Amino acid sequence: MKMKKLLLIPALAVTASTAGADIPITGFIESKCVIQSDTPGRFGNPTVDKLSTKAADGGVMPIVRYDIITASKYKAVITTPTNFSAAPSLSDTVDWTSTTIAGQMSDAEMSVFNTNKAIYNNGHTTEFDLVKAGSVWFNVTSEAEYGVGKSFPSGNYTALIVAECIAK
Amino acid sequence: MRFIILFLLLTSGYANAHQFTPTYPELEMSHIAGVLKAEMVLFNTRKDIRYYELNVFDEDWNPVRFAIESRVVPMEYQETKNITVYISKKELDKARYICSKSKILLTVREPSIVSSRICSKLK
Repeated sequence: MKMKKLLLIPALAVTASTAGADIPITGFIESKCVIQSDTPGRFGNPTVDKLSTKAADGGVMPIVRYDIITASKYKAVITTPTNFSAAPSLSDTVDWTSTTIAGQMSDAEMSVFNTNKAIYNNGHTTEFDLVKAGSVWFNVTSEAEYGVGKSFPSGNYTALIVAECIAK
Repeated sequence: MRFIILFLLLTSGYANAHQFTPTYPELEMSHIAGVLKAEMVLFNTRKDIRYYELNVFDEDWNPVRFAIESRVVPMEYQETKNITVYISKKELDKARYICSKSKILLTVREPSIVSSRICSKLK
C-alpha cells in the first residue's frame, strides 16, 4: 500500500504542473507611425484634356491612412504628383493641381491637422504636424490638364503620391 | 484614449501598411572598431510592395554614408525583418535620419500609386 502511494506522488506532480501551465502572450506598444494605402486612386477623364481623381470628374480619390501611436512624435508629409511615372508619349506640358486634407479621423481634435498644415512646393507638398494620437485618413485630389485644345493620347497613365512620416 | 487607439489598431488590422521602428533608434557599438550600429525593424503588409530601400540622411536631407547587408530589402507580404544599419563614427555627427521607402516595380500599372517613406530620427 505504502509503495503504491509513493508511485502516485510523481504522477500527481506532473498532472498538477500540466493543469496549471500558463501560456503567456506578450505585446509591447511602442511609439510608431504606420502608413497605409487605404484607397488606391483612379483618374477620371471628364474632358479630353483632363485627368482627375475627383468623384465629380469620374475619378476615385486616393486615401492614405496614418496610424499614430504617440502624439507629437511625427509629421506627415504628402506630395502629390507633378508628372506621370508611366504614360503614352506626350508632346505638350501637363499642368498639375492638387489638394491634400485630413478627412476621416478617430479623434475630432485631429481637425487641428488641417488648421496648422503647411503647403509648399507650388502646392504639391502638404505637411501635417501629427500632434494627436490615433488614426487619420488623408484625402488627396490630383488633376492633370494637358496643353490647350489638346487631348490626352489614349493609353495607361500612372502617377505617384509620396506619403512620408518623419520623426520629429 | 489609449484603449480606443489600441482597439482601432487591433480591429482594423493592417491590410496595406508600411511600418518602420523604432522612432528614435539608439546607436550601439558594433563588432567592428569605429563603427556603430542601429537595430531597425521593418514590417510590410502592403500587397503591392515587394522591396524597400533604406537610406541615411543628415539634418538637411543630404545622404550620409552607411553600410547595410542590402540597401534594397526584399520583403514578402506580412513579413517582418530585423535590419542592422552600420554608421561610421566619422559620420556620427552628420547622421540624423534612417529612412525606409517602398519601391514600386515598373510592372505595377495602377493609375495612382502611393509610395510610402518612414524616417526614424537619431538623437
